Amino acid sequence: MPDLNALYKKYRDRAAFYVVYIQEAHPVDAWQIPSNVKDNVLEASTTTAEERSHVAGKCVKNLGIEIPALIDAPDDRVERAYTGWPDRLYVIDAEGRVAFKSAPGPFGFEPADVGAALEKMMGPATPAPEGEGGV
Amino acid sequence: MRQGAWKWVARVAVVLVILYATLFGTVALAMMQPPARFGRIMRHMPGMLVWMLLPAPTMWQWARQGDLKEGDAAPDFTLHTQDRSSQVTLSSYRGDRPVVLVFGSYT
Repeated sequence: MPDLNALYKKYRDRAAFYVVYIQEAHPVDAWQIPSNVKDNVLEASTTTAEERSHVAGKCVKNLGIEIPALIDAPDDRVERAYTGWPDRLYVIDAEGRVAFKSAPGPFGFEPADVGAALEKMMGPATPAPEGEGGV
Repeated sequence: MRQGAWKWVARVAVVLVILYATLFGTVALAMMQPPARFGRIMRHMPGMLVWMLLPAPTMWQWARQGDLKEGDAAPDFTLHTQDRSSQVTLSSYRGDRPVVLVFGSYT
């Protein structure tokens, strides 16, 4: 998450950033994993808009995500259209085309690749001013 | 006696190959299911065995490659913001600026 926030700070004046909160990867009622138990990240599957909004809010707060978050529809249509589960990164260019699609997470989740794709598209970023706070 | 030992080794080898093929096939099929069903199947799988014995990252990359390719038109969507106070439409950025999408969940 620090990597994502750094990426956001570096490019947010030239690109829009959104987290798309999708269905849970390791909910307690399906494929619970030990590292989540250790970190006390225990959530049930979210299906309704209310549940998603609630858990996404916790996620953003507890992980310190500064990127604005959207919540996928209860029918998971955006996750399905983008094969976004369990996590994945995309860059959509200003013409509305897919400019970069990462490998599926967790193995392909490399924020640095997004930076490289943005720079390829728009040229190098101007250095972010020191000590610039959040929105 | 020696021939009997080899036969025994061959039998064990055949059984191991069958077990491996079954594990590989089951996990590969599971990976191709929708996420929720995949999770429900993996819950009953011996996790360590799967990750240590199978080329799981490669299998996962193949199973989850999806239909979208770089250069394709990005499917448009309108979604609520996390606090549900407003909505964002992807295509509203067309002709304006690129959009970075970070798919993920809490767990």
